[in-house]
Amino acid sequence: MKNEEKKKQTVVLFAPMERTKADAKNVARTAFDKTIIMAEEKLDVTVEYNTYTAKDYQEKSYDDVALERIQNDMDDFYLLNPDVLQKMGEKGKLADLSGLDCVKNLREVVKTANTVNGMLVGIPQEVVVYGLFVNKDMFDKYKIDLPNTPEEFLECCKIFKENGIETPIGANRWWLETFVFAQAYADLYNGDNTATEIEELNSGKRKYSDYMRKGFEYLKKLIDLGYIDAKTAYTYEAIDGEGADFLAQKTPIVMAYWGAANAETAYGNPDFNMQVIGFPSDRGQMPVMSMTGVSALANSEHLEDTLNVLEVILSDEALQVYSETNKVISPSKNVEVDCIPALKPLNDLVNEGTYVLASNAGMKVEQWGNTCLIVRELLNGASVDECMAKFDKLQEE
Amino acid sequence: MEKRNEVLRTRILIVPFIVVFCILGTVVFFISKKISREMSESAINNLSESLDLISNTIEVILKKEVEFQKLLSQEIAGLEKPEDFVLSYDRNDTMVKISLILSGETTGISNTGEVFAEKDLDFSWGKTVEDLPLSKSYVNSMGTWAYTIKCPVIRNKEEIATLYIEYIYDSFEEALPSQFYNKEAKLYLMDVDSERLVLKPKGIGERDAGHISLEDFYNANKILEGSVQENVAKNIKDGKDVMFYHDIQNEDSLIYMWSVNKGTEYMIGYVPVRAIQREGNAVNQNIMIVVIVMMVTFSACCAFYLFFEKQNDKIRKDRESERELYNKQLKEALQAAQIANNSKTTFLANMSHDIRTPMNAILGFATLLARDVSNPEQVREYTKKITASGQHLLGLINDVLDISKIESGKVVLTIGEFALKDMISSIDAIIRPAAKTKNQNFDITVTGIKHENLIGDETRLNQILINLLSNAVKYTQEGGDIWLRIIGLKQRSSQYEHIRIEVEDNGYGMTPEYLETIFDAFTRAENSTTNKVQGTGLGMAITKNIVELMGGTIEVTSEVNIGSRFVVELEFRIPDVKVDGQFWKQRGISRILVVDDEEDNRESVRLLMEDMGICVDLACDGEEALRLRKSAYEAGEDYHVILLDWKMPGMNGVETARLLSKVAPEHILTLLLTAYDWDGIQEEAVQAGIDGFLPKPFFVSAFKEKILELLEEQEMEKDSEADAEEGCMEGRHFLVVEDNEINSEILSEILRIEGASCEVAENGQLAVEHFSQAQPGSFDAILMDVQMPVMNGYEASRAIRALDREDAGQIPIIAMTANAFAEDVKDAIDAGMNAHIAKPIDTELLKRTIKQYLE
Repeated sequence: MKNEEKKKQTVVLFAPMERTKADAKNVARTAFDKTIIMAEEKLDVTVEYNTYTAKDYQEKSYDDVALERIQNDMDDFYLLNPDVLQKMGEKGKLADLSGLDCVKNLREVVKTANTVNGMLVGIPQEVVVYGLFVNKDMFDKYKIDLPNTPEEFLECCKIFKENGIETPIGANRWWLETFVFAQAYADLYNGDNTATEIEELNSGKRKYSDYMRKGFEYLKKLIDLGYIDAKTAYTYEAIDGEGADFLAQKTPIVMAYWGAANAETAYGNPDFNMQVIGFPSDRGQMPVMSMTGVSALANSEHLEDTLNVLEVILSDEALQVYSETNKVISPSKNVEVDCIPALKPLNDLVNEGTYVLASNAGMKVEQWGNTCLIVRELLNGASVDECMAKFDKLQEE
Repeated sequence: MEKRNEVLRTRILIVPFIVVFCILGTVVFFISKKISREMSESAINNLSESLDLISNTIEVILKKEVEFQKLLSQEIAGLEKPEDFVLSYDRNDTMVKISLILSGETTGISNTGEVFAEKDLDFSWGKTVEDLPLSKSYVNSMGTWAYTIKCPVIRNKEEIATLYIEYIYDSFEEALPSQFYNKEAKLYLMDVDSERLVLKPKGIGERDAGHISLEDFYNANKILEGSVQENVAKNIKDGKDVMFYHDIQNEDSLIYMWSVNKGTEYMIGYVPVRAIQREGNAVNQNIMIVVIVMMVTFSACCAFYLFFEKQNDKIRKDRESERELYNKQLKEALQAAQIANNSKTTFLANMSHDIRTPMNAILGFATLLARDVSNPEQVREYTKKITASGQHLLGLINDVLDISKIESGKVVLTIGEFALKDMISSIDAIIRPAAKTKNQNFDITVTGIKHENLIGDETRLNQILINLLSNAVKYTQEGGDIWLRIIGLKQRSSQYEHIRIEVEDNGYGMTPEYLETIFDAFTRAENSTTNKVQGTGLGMAITKNIVELMGGTIEVTSEVNIGSRFVVELEFRIPDVKVDGQFWKQRGISRILVVDDEEDNRESVRLLMEDMGICVDLACDGEEALRLRKSAYEAGEDYHVILLDWKMPGMNGVETARLLSKVAPEHILTLLLTAYDWDGIQEEAVQAGIDGFLPKPFFVSAFKEKILELLEEQEMEKDSEADAEEGCMEGRHFLVVEDNEINSEILSEILRIEGASCEVAENGQLAVEHFSQAQPGSFDAILMDVQMPVMNGYEASRAIRALDREDAGQIPIIAMTANAFAEDVKDAIDAGMNAHIAKPIDTELLKRTIKQYLE
């Protein structure tokens, strides 16, 4: 028995783990686990699972640790946020996945967002769409319509504030950037010159700061008006921090990814009528799309086995199971599932092709991670100009 | 009562079983509990030992690391440029980073080439490994949990630098068991200071991989009791091992927190109690299996015991009831024997009386005969009475012999073909005169009989009917009625005629008590000594025995002063005979008219005659007969024979015959059917145009005979049988073989009266000698007794037949013996004799027999 087990190939995965309500059933993890089990059964391999979660903001973040582990060739494959993916892709630490059979099923936008230097370095299991999670009951209570534009949104917050809700927007240190992306790239991704504009950004003809300024200024306004508590937001982990107040109906608005509406560990079972809508922009509600991709270590000792595992967990069959379990948008054009009613407004927008990308490996300046860090500086008291200077610096580098 | 006792006994038996069961169950329960406890303690000890062993292993690894670090520092101490050594060191799986800070400096270098400063690490907590300072745990630049141990580099008793080596917790993974309690036990390594889980089991899903700290461990496993957490915290602070029970995911589990390296790290985890008590559970399961097997065996034994006990009880009861039955049977047998004895005593008394009565008459009349010998009138009267008494005596003797023979099972039926007509005719001839003397009406009806000739024992059937009818005559008052009905029943087989014989009377009848014993031997309705009716009381017993011997049944119903009815059912084989249709055709008879008021009679005739191919018309009275005759005559299809019942309501047979002759000018053969004597009406009938009389019941054979008789009356003038018989003995010479002098004398005298002569031989031997010595043709026949001294009749007959002379095979030998049974006749024939005459000698029968053989 032992000999058999020794013979069995082991592939090591490094992935994040939500630690809130440790005993609860985690839908996202269960969906991912289902696909891993498919791979283990089909390939007769064992997938070992390594994880890290920071206890607080002072500790190294998952992304930090993931970077270090990739650089030290610690694991065989990873679940990576777009910034890490882009950084490691550029360093050539991640394997090119374009040879996998499953690639032909992927939506073009997915391939575009994960291609670095012509190499497909990550494939997501779901297209992560961020939106505003609103307590519709509270909106109704104060007779407020759901906002479309930045002005409308400010008006909403004002009414809530006037009605004694001290901080209408619950925020954490990770996801406030979605406000910025919605305003910054609404025209770029929904206009006619997307490719040209990105090319000009990459060549330096255009400045990221020009796009970002609007978003940062708006965010600054929200902070200054007290609609966002910058202090707490700077220290809060995603959902872990702001989630409790939202579920307790103390906060009418939070931002989160699509899957949080389905996960018991997040906002899967609220006591109120919850709706998920797009972020305010001049073009109306705007979903923000990001992707947490699965990447393989290029130097892995078990690269072949790892690629085989990826082939299985990213196949249409596995993505169907994943999407059905999590009720999310699949990266495969062949997989479609129904969404829950709360997600319908967001889903409709995505289906119409209205969204902005929060990560794009095609852009030379990594977006998701950098913007996140600069937003944190804003939270920490930096001015919008200082923040823009950071973007300019990054672009110059 | 008995049932209640049995239930009580069963309960008394069950109680000890239950007590034994309870004791056994209690003992097993406590033993099991004790074993369970001991096994549990043992399992906990084993777990503690395993954890101690793992803890020791980790500590040994730490010690080895320290020893190695000390050796390195000694080596570095001897080098001129220790920094070069550090830079040249490659990381391995355990030691991932080596750094050196020279004394007096705040920064140094690492083997990675980076600048190293101690401030990045925290040694403030004062923990050591083997007296070397140990840093708090941290996530290193590889993204994995690590710790650093620092070691002074001493040259010439002077500390010239400090060597820092970073170790990763992953290196302990090899030291941890991969199959801890078959993977059911979880084991994490926790940094005590941060309470972070620095080494976790690699697995899938959040339960195993998702906990990052002691707090997560508590939350995930719902160990939320403040007192428990406080207690754990206190023990961890003191560096003590902790183990306690708690439910984890609804399963009783053991939680352990085991100190490593004096409490700098703790192994924490849990294992389900079930997993560590697997062996104990297996032992308990085995004990339970053994106990169950024992209990089943014990129960089976008890069940068997109860079963056998019950069986024995049953056998005992059966024996008792059998004994009781035997006793009852014995008692009954005794009673029967006593009754039989009484019956025989009564019988003997009766017989004594019955035999003495005729014997008295014989002797008395013999005396009178001797006295009045000169008076021929008186002599004739006396001899008549002597003969009657002798006949009665003979009847008695025959009955007694018959019943004893039947009872000893020696009766053999003599099967032969017989005509029902003849049998009924002979019965009628016997019974009717007897009935007539008592002015009784005797009515015979035969219905539904399809075959007149049957195969069976005619003699025995006769005997049955005579017994029943003579009883009816006997036990019916003067002027009473007696009916004999012979009814053909539905045939069960085409080869057998199924007949019911009913003998009914309206006589004295019988009491129900007597009916019960009527078929038993030696019983009689009334004690014959006080009753005018005489008999042996054997008649009914004989009758029943014969019926049963013939495979039939007999039943009787009777009521006192109302009458009796005997019903006998028998089956007789039908002989293979062809329907003689030619007889009627030859004589031009194809249509007959039957006139009878009794429908059964009409139908009986029709049934029988249609079988012969004759067309039968039926008329229920004279008027209808006239009408039918007229229309038949007019249609040119006149009848060939008319059968007329005599007594009919309205117009009787004779009147009808008279009128019939007027309907049509042609005379046709007309016969009067009657059960009555023809004599009284013969003249009137003849005048009325009736040609003859046909006795009832109707038989085809009798009808045929009558037709023949009438048709050939003119031509066939025969001498009467009596005439023929007379003179047949004249001049004949016989050899009489008889040992009894009186008998030989009587026979000689009879022969002499008939004009014949004889020679007498006293035994068979002498007879053979006489015959062989005599000239051929000297004797016309031999009259042979059977039972004789020297040589019996059978042997003598065989010897004579065996003689080598022409007439030895031809001379008629007639047996004359008191052995009067059918088998005696058979034996006689088998011995070569020609005929058999029973003694006492019937002179007429003797003459007929002799005539038959001499012709």
